[in-house]
Amino acid sequence: MLRLHAIVHLLLVIVILAGCSQSEPAAKSAATAGEKPKSDAPAASKTFTIGMSQCNLGEPWRVQMNADIKAAAAQHPNLEVIFKDAQNDTLRQRSHIEEFVSAGVNLIIVSPKEAEPLTEPIANAFRGGIPVIVLDRAVRGDAFTCFIGANNVQIGRAAGKWIAEHIGNDAKIVELKGLMTSIPGQDRHNGFVEGLGGKGKVVFEADMKWLEPEARKEMDSALARFDDIDVVYAHNDPGAHGAYLAVQAAGREKKPLFVGIDALPQEGVAYVSQGILNATFQYPTGGQEAIDTALKILAGEKVPKTITLKSRIFTKENVAAGGAVIEN
Amino acid sequence: MTASNDLQRNTKKHFRLSPAARAFLALALVLLLGFVFNAHGAFFKLGTHRDALRQSSVYGILACGMTLVIISGGIDLAVGSVVALVAVCSALMAIHWNWSPWIVVPLSLLIGATCGAVSGGITALLRVQPFIATLAMMVFARGLAKHVSGGTKISTAIEQADKTYRYAELPKWFRAIDSRVLWGQVSVVTVVCAACLLVAFIALARHVWGRQLYAIGANEEAARLSGVPVIPAKIAAYVASGVFAAIAGICQAAQETQGDPEAGAGYELVAIAMVVIGGTSLMGGRGGVCLTLLGVLIIGYLEKILSINAVPEATRLMLTGIIIVVAVVAQRQRSS
Repeated sequence: MLRLHAIVHLLLVIVILAGCSQSEPAAKSAATAGEKPKSDAPAASKTFTIGMSQCNLGEPWRVQMNADIKAAAAQHPNLEVIFKDAQNDTLRQRSHIEEFVSAGVNLIIVSPKEAEPLTEPIANAFRGGIPVIVLDRAVRGDAFTCFIGANNVQIGRAAGKWIAEHIGNDAKIVELKGLMTSIPGQDRHNGFVEGLGGKGKVVFEADMKWLEPEARKEMDSALARFDDIDVVYAHNDPGAHGAYLAVQAAGREKKPLFVGIDALPQEGVAYVSQGILNATFQYPTGGQEAIDTALKILAGEKVPKTITLKSRIFTKENVAAGGAVIEN
Repeated sequence: MTASNDLQRNTKKHFRLSPAARAFLALALVLLLGFVFNAHGAFFKLGTHRDALRQSSVYGILACGMTLVIISGGIDLAVGSVVALVAVCSALMAIHWNWSPWIVVPLSLLIGATCGAVSGGITALLRVQPFIATLAMMVFARGLAKHVSGGTKISTAIEQADKTYRYAELPKWFRAIDSRVLWGQVSVVTVVCAACLLVAFIALARHVWGRQLYAIGANEEAARLSGVPVIPAKIAAYVASGVFAAIAGICQAAQETQGDPEAGAGYELVAIAMVVIGGTSLMGGRGGVCLTLLGVLIIGYLEKILSINAVPEATRLMLTGIIIVVAVVAQRQRSS
C-alpha cells in the first residue's frame, strides 16, 4: 500500500512538472538584423519584456491569439514576449501574474480564464506599477490599464442580419449552439435572434458543445426530422463544418446555407475559400491590437480604457480580399 | 450448507436472468423509448438507425479493446488520447504528405500498438496499477498529439512558409471510410466496427489467449501458478487495445476530414460505460464481446433518441446518468 502511495505521489509530481507552463522567449529571436524597426516604434533602442498569460492553449482560437501576438511583436525587435499557458487552471494563471511581477516585466498581457479569481492578482500587478492589458475576457473593477475584446452579441446580430437578407420569410433554420451555459453561447444566440428580426423559423436547436463531431451528430438528427432545411447557423466554424459533413453524407440535393463564427485562417476562412461555408463572422483575437496598445503604453501615451474590436465578414465574394469590416 | 439454503439458492438462480438477457432487456427498453418518443416519425426512418450505428462505431471499436483489458482485470484510460494521436498522425501522413494508405494504416496501427505496449509493459512488468499506468499514457499521448500537430487541427488547409494557405485534396481512402456500402444503407465505419467486434470475439471466446485473460482477471495468482504466461498475455491485451484505438483514430480523422489533437477527449469513459453496461465485470474475469455489443447499442441508441428529440443538454446529462446507475445496479444483483 505504501508503495502504491509512493507511486501515486511520484506520478502527481511528474504530471504537475509536465503541466507547468513552458516559458518561451519568442519574439526576441526575430531580432532580424536587416529589418528596420517601424519608424513609429517608441524608444527603439530600449528593449521591453512583455509577459503574456494565455488561459488555455487547447483551443485553436487561443493558439491563433498567441500566434497573432508573436507575429505582431516580431515586427518590433525591441520587444521580447514571454508566453505562458495556464492550461485552463485559474490558480496556475494567478501564479503566472505573480511570476511576471517578480521577474519585473515591463508590461503584462493576460487573457483570463475567469474574472473573479484573477481580478486581485491583476490589480496587485497594476498597482505595483506594471501596465496590464486584459484580452478577450474582462475582469472586475478598473485596476488594469486597458481591456481589449470583441462583442459576441454584435457578431451574432451581424450573422442574423446576413441570414435574414438571404432567406425567405418561412425558411427553416437549424441553430447549432456552442454551450448555452457559457456567456459566448448565450451572446451569439441572443444577438442572432435579434439580427433575424423574426424572419425564418428555428426548427431545430441543440448544444454541440463547440465540438465538430457533436455538431455532425446533431445535424444528422435534424436531417432525420426535416426534409428541407434552408440555413444552418453554428456558433463556431467547426460546428458549421460538422453540419456540412452531415448534409454531404446524407446526400441531400439541396444544400442549405452554412454560416459559422470565428473565422480563423485555417478553419472558417479556409472553409469559405473551399466553398464549404457560405459566410463566417470573425471573432477577432486582438493579438495585433494588444501589441499596438502595448507599444503606446510603453511609450507613455494614453490609451482608452476599453477597446472593442471590429468583426469582419468573410464570404465567397470577399474572402480573397481578406473579408470586409462590419460596422457598428 | 443446509438443504433449504441450497434449495433457495437454486430457485433464485432459476429466476435470475443471465447478463446477456438483462442487457437485451435494457436495449429493448431503450428502443421502446425510441418508439414512444419517435420525433415525428424520425425514429422509424432507416437513415436514423444507420446514423445511430455510425455514431456509435468509434466508441464501439474502442470498447472492443477495452473489453479485453477489463476482462484481464485492468483498465485502459489512454484510448481517447491515442485516438487523438493517431488521428493527427494519420491526417499528417495522408493529407499533408499524401502517403499511400498501405503505409499510413500500418504505421498508424504501429503507433497505437506502441502506446499499448508501453502502458501494458508498465502495468505488467513494473507492476504499476493499470489505472495509474494508463492515466500516465493518457496524459502523455495527448501531449504528443498536441506536439505533433503544433496545437492546431491537421486539415486540408495547409499553411505555407509565407503564411498563405494551399488546399490539399482529401485522400480518396479517407472519403471511402466515411462513405456507405450495401446500397447506401451501412456506413463503412460501422462495418469496420463490426469487424473489430468479430476479431475481439474470436480472440476472447475461441482462442487460448482469451481463456488466459479470463483466468488472469478472475485470479491472477492462481493463473500464474497454473502456468498461464501472465505478463505476455496482459501486455498483449493493452497492445490490442492500442491497435483498436488506432483504428478508431483513423476512422475519427476520416469522418472529421482532419486530425484534431483535441479529438477523443472523454471517449475512454464512454467505452468503459459501454463495456460495463453490457454486463462485463469491472473486477475482471467475467463478461464478453457480445455483451459489449449490447452495451454499444444501448448507449448509442440512447444518445440518438435524445438527439432526434432535441432534448436540452441538461436533461440529456441527467437521463444518461440515471440510465447508467440503473444498469450498474442491475449488474450488481448477480454478485449478491
